[in-house]
Amino acid sequence: MADDIVDVLIIGAGASSAAAAWSLSDTRMRILCLEQGDWMNPADYPSTKKNWQVLRDNEYNQSPNIRCRDTDYPINEDESDISVANFNGVGGGTILYSGHFPRLKPSDFKTKSLDGVGADWPIDYRTLESYFAQNDRNMGVSGLPGDPAGPYHESPLPPVPIGKMGEVMGKGLNKLGWHWWPSDAAIITENYEGREKCINLGPCNFGCAQGAKSSVDISYWPINQRLGVELKTRCRVREITVNKNGMATGAIYFDENGVEKFQRAEVVIMACNGVGTPRLLLNSKSTQFPNGLANHSGLVGKNLMFHPWGFVEGFFNEPLESDLGPMGSCMLSQEFYETDPKLDFVRGYTLQITRGKSPVTIALQHTLKGDIPWGLEHHKNFERYMGRSVNINVVCEDLPEESNMVSLDPELTDSHGIPAPKINYHVSENSNRMMQHGVKSAIQALEASGAFQVNPYGRTRDTGWHLLGTARMGNNPDNSVVNKWGRSHDVKNLFIIDGSIFVTSGAVNPTTTIQALALYVADQMKKNLANLFD
Amino acid sequence: MSNIIASNIFLSENENRTLMALLELIIPADIDRGMPSAADLDFVRYLEEFASKEIPAIKNELEILNNTAEEETGNPFFKLGNEEQREFCNQQRETNRRFVRTILVQTLNCYYQDDKVLTALGRKSGAPFPEGNEVLQGDLTLLDPVRKRGNIYRKWE
Ligand SMILES: Cc1cc2nc3c(=O)[nH]c(=O)nc-3n(C[C@H](O)[C@H](O)[C@H](O)COP(=O)(O)OP(=O)(O)OC[C@H]3O[C@@H](n4cnc5c(N)ncnc54)[C@H](O)[C@@H]3O)c2cc1C
Repeated sequence: MADDIVDVLIIGAGASSAAAAWSLSDTRMRILCLEQGDWMNPADYPSTKKNWQVLRDNEYNQSPNIRCRDTDYPINEDESDISVANFNGVGGGTILYSGHFPRLKPSDFKTKSLDGVGADWPIDYRTLESYFAQNDRNMGVSGLPGDPAGPYHESPLPPVPIGKMGEVMGKGLNKLGWHWWPSDAAIITENYEGREKCINLGPCNFGCAQGAKSSVDISYWPINQRLGVELKTRCRVREITVNKNGMATGAIYFDENGVEKFQRAEVVIMACNGVGTPRLLLNSKSTQFPNGLANHSGLVGKNLMFHPWGFVEGFFNEPLESDLGPMGSCMLSQEFYETDPKLDFVRGYTLQITRGKSPVTIALQHTLKGDIPWGLEHHKNFERYMGRSVNINVVCEDLPEESNMVSLDPELTDSHGIPAPKINYHVSENSNRMMQHGVKSAIQALEASGAFQVNPYGRTRDTGWHLLGTARMGNNPDNSVVNKWGRSHDVKNLFIIDGSIFVTSGAVNPTTTIQALALYVADQMKKNLANLFD
Repeated sequence: MSNIIASNIFLSENENRTLMALLELIIPADIDRGMPSAADLDFVRYLEEFASKEIPAIKNELEILNNTAEEETGNPFFKLGNEEQREFCNQQRETNRRFVRTILVQTLNCYYQDDKVLTALGRKSGAPFPEGNEVLQGDLTLLDPVRKRGNIYRKWE
């Protein structure tokens, strides 16, 4: 039997969902969110345990194919140069994210007009500016105002410490005359809104036991629930249903006991991320939508963008205590962010400078490689690396290509028998050239900063953190899936708010922009309530 | 604490002697640095508590180690003198990149999560939460030249 009808049904309880639910809560509409995963218990996170350094291997692995929780779904990545990283639970990817929080820049929204590549967004940076600021306040974001690599903005909290490693890198980058700045981070550096400040536990990527990292299960959801938003966990949506007029009527899902249920809704909002959303739309076939819901353009699942990602690691003679502090958030250089016609690639990249590795990782990496020997010399050589490493991540802008896509795997299914996603993705020539340049720049930066050893690992496969572009926004229904305020061109009461709606990827971690977009879409819905479905 | 196997329920005496000799070779003590030997830690208990699924692989590697030593020197590994053990391991490592790989990985995991070791390295022992760590804020006046250069982003109106 069908449950009661709700005004708004949101699928997924990750970054975008949390922001949109907050915004819509003041309408007093009945809002229900269905999430396939669980609430997390911060007391269980690895940093509360003595063996925290090795717990990333399984239960907190970023790959759903390795983690294999019963709340995960498998992903066929055999034909992808990059493998997907995500988390399925209340908080979505923010449970494991680093909280590195740089915004997209004005040029990112107009790559076609400026550089003749990708496509222009139907909105611009200005459209999102106030939503970025609102989201920073809601999430709890730290940063230093005045970064000359982007429009001026202030963060509610002072920046994360850059530490000794930041000073050393800053001096090196100054020698080169390059841009650098302490990172905006979704990590609270002072007590904020009843939450306690960051105490530099280190492994943000295994979940933050302190609750100082602004994952949305900590920042948004408790408030959303107080504001009346309902959230049901362990509810995995199989398909969005439509009536004969082509309007969404609700969702069929499996509840925590595996029982199939139907939830009716006036409006459906998809927030399952750049892989989960196209998967669900493609699984929602009907007579009106034989190729998947909202897919008259044929673009659902197409134009998948990650950020091709490379690593270069440097080691310094002086002890930097670089293994301490929030691991993924320290500082960045955007010297090569904007297109430079003198270079052999278009668009650009960020150098995200992150902290060193934990003692176990240093010991394993360098002993297996032979830098740290067995025997008496072990200790002296371990000391050369421990607390003295700095990582530079080369974060390349990825441009949309229809051949990079999410489709349905013909055989693979999740534990409920729902067809699983398959990824086809190849890194482009432009990205390869950009990566080469980025790796060289990272080597230059580390050498200028005084590193005695630099290991350029280059592009790495296990870096599909950012899932973008698979239901992009645009004004033309022939080449986009949603309009400029996130509403499906085909289904007037279906909205998409997650990373799928990105038109281009920029060269920064996307979550602040994903959430600003979600707040913006929610605001447009509120402004257009009277004629929402026209 | 030296070579005390508190709850050794899964290793025979010979396997235990083999393992202890190997741990001593991988990470011996360094008294000046205050670093214990890997054989001084309770490796077996570590395995039981945190890495029990690796135990069969570890037993297998110990068996192979003794058998190979016997084939090549006439004696199982645990019966060789310290110098012979070292030489034997060096030879094996040159020809076999995966030589005692599971034992090596678990030794490093155990060693660098041990309280005594972490303290000697100047790090807090045990779980990071709830104590946390101090990190220097860093000198932000270093940004002066970056500020002075002015905006570097492309404007779009
Ligand atoms: C290890 C790691 C590090 C990262 N670091 C950063 C960083 O430093 N900075 C940054 O900006 N970003 C980072 N990210 C990316 C960031 O987490 C994502 O950009 C962000 O969470 C995406 O938000 P979203 O709303 O699009 O989707 P998500 O947050 O992924 O939420 C989607 C939710 O939908 C649920 N769902 C999916 N399908 C269904 C279904 N059928 N039924 C019910 N529920 C469903 C999922 O369980 C999930 O909870 C990182 C990600 C990872 C994994």
